This record gives sequence, structure tokens and C-alpha cells, in this order.
Amino acid sequence: QNRISGTVTNSADKSPLAGVSVVVKGSTTGTSTDGSGNYNLSVPNNVTLVFSFIGYGSKEISVGNQTRIDISLSESAEALNEVVVTALGIKKEAKKLGYATATINADALTENRTPNFINSLQGKIAGVNISGLGTGPAGTSKIRIRGQSSISGQNNPLIVVNGIPIDNTNFGTNPGNAAADNSIGVRGGGNTSDGGDGLSSINPDDIESMTVLKGATAAALYGSRAKDGVLMITTKTKGNGKGIGVSFNSNYTNETPLDFTDYQYEYGQGENGVRPTTPNPTSGQWSFGEKFQPGMTQVLFDNVTVPYEPVYNRIRKFFRNGSNFTNTVSLSSASDKGGFNLSFANMDSKGIVPNNSFNRKTINLGYSYELSKKLSFSGNINYSHEYNKNPPNIANQDNSIPTAIYNLANSMPLDLLEAKKFNAAGNEYIYSRFQNRTNPYFTLSEQFQNIVRDRIFGNISVKYNLLPWLFVQGRVGQDYWSRDQDYNNFPTGQASIAAAPAGFVNGTYTQESRRFREINTDILISGTQKFGDFGFDFNVGGNKMYRRSDLNSVLVQDFVVRGLYTVMNGRVKDPIYGLSERAVNSVYGSAEFSYKNVLFVNATARNDWFSTLSPANRSILYPSVSGSFVFSQAFNSVPTWLTFGKLRAAYAEVGSDTDVSPYSNNLFYGINANLFGGQPVGGSSGTTTLPNANLRPMRTAETELGLELKLFDSRVTLDAAIYNKITNDQIVSAQISDASGFITTLINSGKSQNRGFEMLLNLVPVKTPNFQWDLTLNGSYNKTKVLSLLTDTPGERITVGTHVFNGELRQVVGQEMGQIYGFGFKRDASGQMMFGGNGIPLRTDDLISYGSALPKWNGGINNSFNYKGINLSFLVDFKLGNMMLSGTNFNAVRHGLHKMTLVGREGGVLGVGVNAKGETNTVKAPVQDYWSVVRSLALIEPVIYDGGFWKVRQITAGYDFTRFLPRNFPVKNLKLSAVANNVFLIKKWVDNIDPDSFGYSSDNLVGMESTGLPTTRSIGFNLNAKF
Amino acid sequence: CDQGFDELNINKTAALSVNPVFILNNATVNSAFTTGSVIYETGIVQQMISPNSGVLTGANFNQDSRDNTVQNWQKYYRNVIRNSQDVINQTQAVASRSNLYNMARIIQANAYMILTDSYGDIPYTDAEKGYTNQIFLPKYDTQQAVYAGIIKELTEATAALDATKAIEAADVLYAGNIALWKKYGNSLLLRAGMRLSKVDAAQAQQVVAKALQGGVMESNADNAIIKHDANYVNGIGNMLNATEAANIYLAAPFVDYLKKTNDPRLKSIAVRYVGAKSGPEQVASRASTDPAVQIGMPLGFDNNTISAEVTKNKLASFYDFTQVDRTRMVKMTAPSFLVTAAQTQLLLAEAAQRNWVTGTSAETYYNRGVRLHMEQMALYDANSAVAAADIDTYLKATPYVAATALEQINTQYWVASFLNGPEAFANFRRSGFPKLAPNPFPGKSIKGEFIKRLTYPNSEISANTVHVKEAIARQGADDLDTKVWWDK
Repeated sequence: QNRISGTVTNSADKSPLAGVSVVVKGSTTGTSTDGSGNYNLSVPNNVTLVFSFIGYGSKEISVGNQTRIDISLSESAEALNEVVVTALGIKKEAKKLGYATATINADALTENRTPNFINSLQGKIAGVNISGLGTGPAGTSKIRIRGQSSISGQNNPLIVVNGIPIDNTNFGTNPGNAAADNSIGVRGGGNTSDGGDGLSSINPDDIESMTVLKGATAAALYGSRAKDGVLMITTKTKGNGKGIGVSFNSNYTNETPLDFTDYQYEYGQGENGVRPTTPNPTSGQWSFGEKFQPGMTQVLFDNVTVPYEPVYNRIRKFFRNGSNFTNTVSLSSASDKGGFNLSFANMDSKGIVPNNSFNRKTINLGYSYELSKKLSFSGNINYSHEYNKNPPNIANQDNSIPTAIYNLANSMPLDLLEAKKFNAAGNEYIYSRFQNRTNPYFTLSEQFQNIVRDRIFGNISVKYNLLPWLFVQGRVGQDYWSRDQDYNNFPTGQASIAAAPAGFVNGTYTQESRRFREINTDILISGTQKFGDFGFDFNVGGNKMYRRSDLNSVLVQDFVVRGLYTVMNGRVKDPIYGLSERAVNSVYGSAEFSYKNVLFVNATARNDWFSTLSPANRSILYPSVSGSFVFSQAFNSVPTWLTFGKLRAAYAEVGSDTDVSPYSNNLFYGINANLFGGQPVGGSSGTTTLPNANLRPMRTAETELGLELKLFDSRVTLDAAIYNKITNDQIVSAQISDASGFITTLINSGKSQNRGFEMLLNLVPVKTPNFQWDLTLNGSYNKTKVLSLLTDTPGERITVGTHVFNGELRQVVGQEMGQIYGFGFKRDASGQMMFGGNGIPLRTDDLISYGSALPKWNGGINNSFNYKGINLSFLVDFKLGNMMLSGTNFNAVRHGLHKMTLVGREGGVLGVGVNAKGETNTVKAPVQDYWSVVRSLALIEPVIYDGGFWKVRQITAGYDFTRFLPRNFPVKNLKLSAVANNVFLIKKWVDNIDPDSFGYSSDNLVGMESTGLPTTRSIGFNLNAKF
Repeated sequence: CDQGFDELNINKTAALSVNPVFILNNATVNSAFTTGSVIYETGIVQQMISPNSGVLTGANFNQDSRDNTVQNWQKYYRNVIRNSQDVINQTQAVASRSNLYNMARIIQANAYMILTDSYGDIPYTDAEKGYTNQIFLPKYDTQQAVYAGIIKELTEATAALDATKAIEAADVLYAGNIALWKKYGNSLLLRAGMRLSKVDAAQAQQVVAKALQGGVMESNADNAIIKHDANYVNGIGNMLNATEAANIYLAAPFVDYLKKTNDPRLKSIAVRYVGAKSGPEQVASRASTDPAVQIGMPLGFDNNTISAEVTKNKLASFYDFTQVDRTRMVKMTAPSFLVTAAQTQLLLAEAAQRNWVTGTSAETYYNRGVRLHMEQMALYDANSAVAAADIDTYLKATPYVAATALEQINTQYWVASFLNGPEAFANFRRSGFPKLAPNPFPGKSIKGEFIKRLTYPNSEISANTVHVKEAIARQGADDLDTKVWWDK
């Protein structure tokens, strides 16, 4: 027996490495390094020690008669032994995986950050499409992994923090979209703000790493929750060294609203070619007036005469610069037994709407401790307090600041609009005959909304090593939040609502409280054995999930005391209470066989039982199988340029647990909150969806093949995958005839197919001691086709959503998912446009297709340069191959702002084409009537666009000042970065807006743009200091 | 592994059933007319119009605007027919609720009549079978078949109502009063019968006689009224007090007729904000209900071309034209009249004039009808009441004239159906009265002189394509010109 000791350091900066595994080769004898990188071990003679550490290349040292072995490990670019956090939190060597994953470095989340951290990953991960919605700093984010698979249900991935799922309910402006549990639309009308999602309560500084499980196989152990992949977030549970380490991170960004409008400024405010010349005109939303001439005047409000001239830059004049300021302090420590990480963070965001702000405070504690060689525990707890003040109403025609501003007549002075927001009685001063186009300054002054969420989630995990090769682990996790929301979406005095009866003032006010709780309890037994060249790993376990959400809400209307927004002060009161509960129980297991560490086969199975399903359908099995073959290590002679090579293949069946809501098996009846004529009014008329007791959750079967290559000393790295994903038994919310008694019905027959490929290519074109250029290309192509709905007859279709007035999103058998349909210009056999006797275009007899709203291509190109510690990177991202219906342009056309309405201003528009008799059209139509067809005839063809874009998404420039710090200086590490986000739009096709802004956060209503907030460019810095 | 799941999946905040009379109340309160009826039906019969386009495009420009034409379809199918069918399903085999069953059939017949009069062929036999029979895309029946069904339902249901059986006191229409329900059922039957006067006079006569024999509405206490309140407001009242408060005006033909005949109802209905230059200037201090100053808005203009008419009438702006008084007749809580004694008596006047009924003279029915409607004004608002002496004066000054009786009766029916757009529109098409000049708007999209029906919803064209196309092939193009069966 020899006593061996030594220190393990990082070869790059000679810093000690804690937690490095030091094992006698071929045995289970071993230890790991302490916080100072030291180890101490008794070993037999003539053994070999294996030093290994996550993210570093391992080393084998023959001991001989040495007693001290100091070694350094290099960060492994090859990551040959890279360890990945997989489903259920099980860590695995990357090379064993038979499926695609993507690991995200925490820097990608923290350096160039966005209020909802996930948006900072836009364009960075192959096969993952992330979109912010332009709805304010606390807005939701849409994440699509390998495209949208669900015809009409949810498509967001499961979010798992330290092995336990957390809630990601979004409170968006969801026309017609009901959430997983209870509908989460807001009450009382007039509120179309985006209330945020669950991801926004995570502070990115707490994230140690994140893994994206892209395909069904990767996520298979989550069974019914795995349909859309999983984001596995691991938070910090210990520090980097002994003693208390302190780190401080500060991030500030300034957000400039971007104006993409290119409106006409030749003809000003007015209707039918006439400018306002008498007091109190109501053309404030119309620009069908007269041609601007020097010296002309217009009369606005109560006889205010102002020049009749263009008013430019409405966006910049109304919206302010926003900002985000985040400060995080964390304390951490580590020892050979464990450690902790405690962080406090505060984020202050100011939205671009002048009364909108978002504050988030988070406290996160992660800890781990090894009580004995056998027993260890770890856990984390995250508390967040979020206050979202006045999230703006968006994506709606009425009562919405963006729509009012984008449509405002082009000669309306904004300062006058602001000065005249109130009339003599203190009510809204009517400036447009569209009284619902509330004066945005009135809205700003009088409308409020407060959303306060307190959330606590976390879990405790206990692990016991039964045998050196076998452990059992138990975990309990809970996600609990309460969310209080109140809003007065129709403030007292608003012109679009009726005056209150004598003795009252008008207005509405709603106060809501929601509570949500999800508890997951799981157990896992895990073992590993080796027999010669064969290895065997297995896991068996089970999970119990219980989820409960409830809601108290009171809506009141008309008030006794002006300006007092309380539910007691209301004249008409409408209270509701809602409760929803569900449970899923599961058992699962996996087995993995390996041969000579080059061939791996893994099989898993999970069975879920659902409370929401009928007893006959309740139990569902989800299997998977995958394999990987590391061919670079399988043969004795591989070319030297081949550093690493692996082929992988996988097949899995997974499902969805959210698409069958609780209680959807029956028609339930309720009683209205208020009596009518002294009698109850009841019915099931709140339900517009016809219930179906035999629904099953949808099921996805996915096959994928992948290739990983590292060439020329890892100067070239490629990870590519192709997949074929069939989603069966989709619950189709089919539009049916109103005459059936319902508007939609749920049917279990939809089938869709996602086919695509994704690839990540890393190149290091230049690598010198002082300079390195890294080029990363990621791209994915996904095409989702609808294979069947009620039947598989080509052309059969359902409507999944409609635009505000016109156009709808359909699923059509045999076509790509998400087809935009609407009426178009009627054309004769020779393709000539047809006009009515009044010179106005005729519309097609049926709604026609304009193509799919889902992008087929998306990806990014990142260039990163390192020169002596200066880092500069810029990311270009793109989404291509999707169509959109633009609501902003729809309004711009009918209100006379769009440049296409300049034709025929004098004397009318002479449509080029034929009349119903086939003769050349000679009738000129008044320009305002001509373009009103987008509304009156729902003729949307003029406002259909290609929704794709190329953007410079991010630029980051950083410098690490650490080398200049004196040795005894308290600051050990200092890095400063300058960051810019959403920097520049290289190419787009849609007029007047950023194609990135689409307003609706509804999960499946895509391509139906309806005026959202202007998008912003953010510029700022990130400062990271460690003490 | 699924212990307790059955209990967990029971909705603890809703019920699997409620007393069906409460569901009937839902159907009843939803029978009130849509705001779309102001934009189409009330405009087609030239009682109210707007000079504005966009959401208000409809009869004012004789153009198709499917957001508005869809309203009757959605409201009656989704609410009235669905809930009444639910009541029918729950009660048809329950002897103790036979009165409720028959009441639901009458409420439903009322809704079907509005639907078929609006669109022509509609889903009927297959309708409302989504839940019970899984029929999601019902076929359309011909209007002839729908009318046969309505007449059968009304005849049977009214006859089967029985005061000796359980009384449905929670009913919000008549508190379960069987005598009143019978009068309502028979008055609706009378309306259905008269509707067929042009297409099948023999059947019309037979149905009318049967209805009269069963007993119809004779006093305003018999009226079928939705008495709106703060929670269940009058939809049209809400529209005319909120977003469209300053955008909709009484049409010149209506105001001129009332003025010409010195009709005391003009004072009950109308208000003019004298000198108003804008919506905000329509304030109480300018309000005048003096019949002499009322000026209806002429037809055929948009908010630009109307300016010549403004000048011609020496008005301050188009906001200066006469409106229906939103503080009285269309206040938020103003009642909706589904079927009235006034309408019923006027229909009987025509039936008597045609010699389809005997015993009471057409003139007597006519005078009763006019008097009842003038008395009905007080039910809208106390400040709209017409003095008894004024009624006598009016009847004396404009006596019944047998030679022009059909015109006189149906013109009165037009006035008596003010704010009941669907009925005013249907009776105008059937009778051809009042004599109205076509709306001269230059940009109309109709080929004929008047709108003859409403267009089907986009949702039917999208979802129920095959069946709606069958109906279109049978009935004629899906436009505003195609005449419905009884109007041929």
C-alpha cells in the first residue's frame, strides 16, 4: 500500500480544481479533490490512477513508486468524456447518448441578457426556435423545439429545474386559447396584455448549465410530458473553493423602440378627401384627407387650429427608451463534502410604454452535502417576487396603445392629442368616430394593471449508496405560486363604454387571485455494472404528480365614487371561483448496455396514469430505444485528422399530458352570478367546445439519426441530426357549425408529421496563441405536414384561430401545418381582377390559402473573435419560409396610412381588371371605399406577407481584466462586456413592422400579426466580478 | 396506480345538471335582438342608418358586411336554440315538466323564425345535435320545411300547455303563466301564418284562423318582453350608448312619416341635439324632443357626401340629425319586445281585411293595434308615455281607410316593429309596405333595389362547406339579393 497525494490544477491558469475524480483504474477505489485541488489516497503498488473531471480531458498516470503526483488537466475541447444532464437529472457521458442534446453555457444566458432569459438564446441552438413577442419586459416567450407538432394544442417544452418539472403557464393575450388547466383569458374585456410566463421568474445568474433535450428519445423518461422536448436547467449548488466566495454581476441595457413604419405623408388627416375644418372632428384615425400644401390648416378638438402638415416619428414621440438593470450578488462555498450557493438578485425593467415597469427579486439557495460515504443530499429553493406594473394591452383593435398609435392620422400632433385627452367633464375627449380607439394618452393616464406573483419552487433530494455500484435516490419538489392581478381596463370616463346610470360613473375593474401548486415526488434506483468488455447501467423509478390551481375573481362595473377602483364601489358585481385538479402517476425504467465503450444501446419505458382520462384510456406506455457507435474509437487505425466520430440512432414514443383538460369528459352546467328578473339563469353556454369523454392524449413517435464529428484537433466540429416525428391522436379542436350548438369540438384523430434536420457546425478558422476566430453555424429545416384530421382525405380542414376580423389559420390535410386562409381578389379565368358595378374589387367565393405561417428554416451564424483577452462576437439569425397576415398593415390600408392607398386619391381608384360581365372596368371607386374592402369584405390579400427575416441579433464585446488585478487585490476576477441585442434588421418582407413582433402569445395562433409594441434595440453592459 | 382519480376528475365548481327552467331563462334572455339588426334590418326598412363605414357598413350602403350579417346566426344558434334544445332534451320525456317542455318549443320556434327569415334555408332538423347525435355539420333544410316545422311546433306546444300541470314559476318571461304563454304561442303562430301570405295564401289563412281561435295577445300585459336590467343589458341600448352613440341616426323616411301624420310617438322616440357639431356636443343641454325640430338623416350618403344635406337642412353637422333617444327608448335597461299585442292586432287587421278571419272588423283590429303601440311607449320609459288624448286625436285625424288598408296596416306594423329589426324587415318584404324609395347610395353592392336577405356566416362557408353550398345551389347566390322562399 502506498500513500499518494497531490494537487490537480487547471492547465490554463493553474487554478486548483475541486471535485476531480481520482480513481484506481479497474477498481472502485478512489476519491475526489477538495476545494484546494488536493487529494490523498492509499493505493496498491503498480496501479494506474485515472483523473477525470467534467468538461476536462481525463489523464491516466502510472503510479510506480511515486508518493506525490501533481497534474494539470486541460479543458477538453473534444469533450470526449463530456457529461450531460439527461432526463430525470441523470448524468451521462455524452458519447453514450443515442440522441441529440444541446448544452448551453451559462455565459450565453447572462452576458447579453434579456428580461426573460430564454430570449437571449434566440438563434443560438440548432433546431430550437425562440421568439419574444414584443409585449413588454415581462412578456412570454415562445419556444419551439423541432417545430410545432400539435395541430391545436400546446407546443412549449417542459421546463425542468434540477430534475423536477416546474410550471410554465403563460398568461398571454390568448384569443380563444384555453390553457392546460382552466382558461387563463382575463375577464371583463379590454384586457389584452401579456401577463408573462413561468420562465420569467428564473434569474439566469443562478443557472449553472442548461441542456436541451430535443427529441422524443432524449425526453422519453418524461413520458407524457415529453412531446415538445425538455429544457433541463441545473442551478448552482456549490461554489468553486473553500471559504466564502462572493461574486457580483451587474447588467444594464437601454432599449430603444424601433420604428419600421413607412407610411404615406402626402395626404393628411380626414375622410373622403376632406380635411377637418370644424371643431371636434372625428377623423383622428383616418388619413384619407387632403394633399398637404404649404399654409394649410386643420381644426382639431375644440376649435384648435394647427398647421395641416405631416407629423413624423410617432413611435419615437410616444414611446420612451426602456431599460433593464439587474444586479446579482452570490455567496458560495465548497468543500470536499459539499457546498452551497446563495444568490440575491434584483431586476428593474422599464418598458417602452411610459407607465410600464417590471421588477423581479429572486433569492436562490442551492446546497449539497455528503453526510457519509453512503448518504448525501442536495437541494435548491428559489423564491421570486415579481411585480409587473401596467403591462400594455397589445394585439387588439381596441383599447390598445399600439393600435391607436400605429393608426393615428398622420397629421395629428401628438402633443395636442396629449393635451386634449380629457374633456371638460374629465372624461376621454373623443377624437375619432372609432371611439374604441381610445386616446393613447388617456389610456396611459387612466388605465392601470398590477400583477404581483410570489413564487417558491425547489426540491430536496436524498441519495443513498446501497452498494458501490447501486444507489437509491428520493426527491420531493414543489412549485407554488400565487398571483394577484387587478386592472381597470375600461377606466372611468372612457368614451368607448356606455355612460353609467345617473348617480354612477362608468368604468370596469377586475380583481383576481390565483394559486397554483404542483408537487412531484419521485424515487430512482440506479446501478452500474461492468463485465469485461460489457457494461450495464439501469434505472428504475416512479413519480407522483399532483397539480391544483384555483381562481377567485370579481369583476365590477360602474362606480359610486369616481376614481375609487375597488370591488365594493362597483354597481354591477360579477364574482367567479374556479378550481382545477389533476394527477399523473408514473413508473419508469431504463437499461443501457455498452460494449468496449464504443457501442451503446439504451432502452427506456414509462407508464403514465392520468386522472383526466376515462378509466379505459387512463394507462399509457411510452417506450424508447437508442444506440450510439463511437466509430473513431472502434478501430485501431483511424486517420489522425479524425478526433472523434459517432453515429447515433433513436426511436421513441412520447405524449402530451396537457391536452386533455380536467373535467373535459362531460358537459357541466353553471348558474350565472346574477339573477335575472329575480330568477336564476343557468346553462352550459359558457362552454363553446363540445365535450368528448373518450379523449386520449396525443402521442408522438420520433425517429432520429445523428452524426457527431470532431476533426483536425477539434478545429471542425459537426453535430447533425435528421428526424421524422409523427404525432398521432392529436386532439383536434375542429370548428363546427354554430348550428350544432357549439363552435368547436375536440376529436382524437389528428395526425401530423415533422420532418427536418438540424446541424451545428463549429469552425476554428484561425487559432494562434494570441488570436482565435470561432465560427458557429447552426441551422435547421423543419416541415410539418398535416396527415389527417377527422379523416385523411386531402383538403379536409379545421380552423384553429381567426384574426381580429379577417383571415384564419387552418390545418389542412396534405398541406403544411398552419395555413393562412382568407378571401382574396376575385379573378376571372385569365387571371384579371374582377370589380363590382361600383368599381370596388370583388372577393373570391371561398377563402383561399396563402401558405404556411410556420417558419421552415431557422438558425444563426455566430462569429467570435478572441484577441489577448478581448472577445468580440456577433450573431446573425434568421427565420425563413413563413407567411404572415399583418394586422398592422390591415389597419394602415383601411385608414389610409399605407403607401398603397396613394393611388387614386384624386378622382378615385380605377381598378385594373374586368367587371362581372367581363368588360374592362371603367368605374372609379372612391379611394377610402376601395381600401375598406380589407375590412368590409375581409379581403386580406393586400396584407399578406412573407414573414421571414435576417437579423443581427446580438453583438457582444468583452474584456477580461483579471490579468491586471494585483495579486492581493480583493477582486479575483473581473470581466466587463458591452452588449447589444436586436441590433439590425438585414432583410424583411413585411411593410411597416418588425416581423419579429407578432403580438399574440397564443400557443398555436401563429402568423396572425396584430399590432404589438414596437420591437426594441438594447445596448448595455455586463460587469462580472468575483471576490 | 390510479387510486382516487375518478373522484379527482369531478368538477367541484359546476354541476352535471341544473333545473332546466333556469336554462330556459338563458334562452329567453338571449332572444333579444342583436346589434347587427341595427346595421342591417333596421336600416333596410329605413328607420335608422349611419353615414359611417367600416364596422357600420350594412344597409346604409347596401353592402355586404359579414361581421354584421353573422350576428343573428351566432346569437340564436349558439344561445337561444342551444339552450332551448337542452331544455327540450331534458324535459320531453318528463310528464311533470310538460309545460316547460312546451315553453321551450315556443322560445325555440321564435328563434328559428328569425333565422330562416334572415337567411332562407338553414340547419333545422339536424341542428343542435352536436352533443346528442354527434352531428357537427348539420344539413340545411329548405325554408318551406323550416316553416312547416315552426308551425307544427307552435301548434302542438301551444295546445299542450296545461294550467292543471306543474307551473314553472321561475320562468322570466311570464312566471309560468299558462294563459299568457298560450297567447304568446298563438301570436307567434299568427305571425308565422301571415308570413306565408304571398307564397301560400291558403295555408296562411288556415294557420291564422287556428291561431286566432287559440287566443292571441290583446293587451300590452300580454307582450313577450325581455325586461333588461343592469346585469342583462339591452344590447342595442348598450351599442347606442357606447361606441356608436354618435354614429347612428333616425332615417328621414321614418321621421318624415311620423311628422307628416303628427304621430305622437315621434316625441317618445326621437331626440335631436340641436347645433351639435360633433359627438361630444350631443349633450343634454342641446337635447330637444320637440317633434317640430326633428330632422331625419337622408339615405344614400357617406360621412363626406352627407355634408351637402347638412347644409341643405341648415344643420351644424351630421351630428345634428335626429337620433333615437338613448336616455329613454334605447337606454341600457330598455326592454326588448319579442312579440307585442300591437303587432298581433295589426296582423289580425290584415287578416280581417283579407277576409281570412271574421267576427271583428279590420278597422277595430287596426285601431286596437295602433292604440296598443302608442300605449306601449310608456313601457320603454315613463318619459316616453303617450297621453290617451293624443292617441284619440291621432286616430281621429288618420282614420282607417279600407281602400288603402293593406298599406295603412303594414305601415303601422312598420312603426310598431321599430327596434325589432328582424320582424320589420320580414314584414316589409312580405307586404311590400311601407312604400319606401330605394336607398340611392351610389356604391351599393346589391343588384336590386332593396336587400332581400342576409348572407351566411364565413364560418359556415369555412366549416360546413358542403351543406351551405347545397343550400346556395338550391336557393340562389349567397348575396343580399336572393329572395327567400316566402318572398318569391
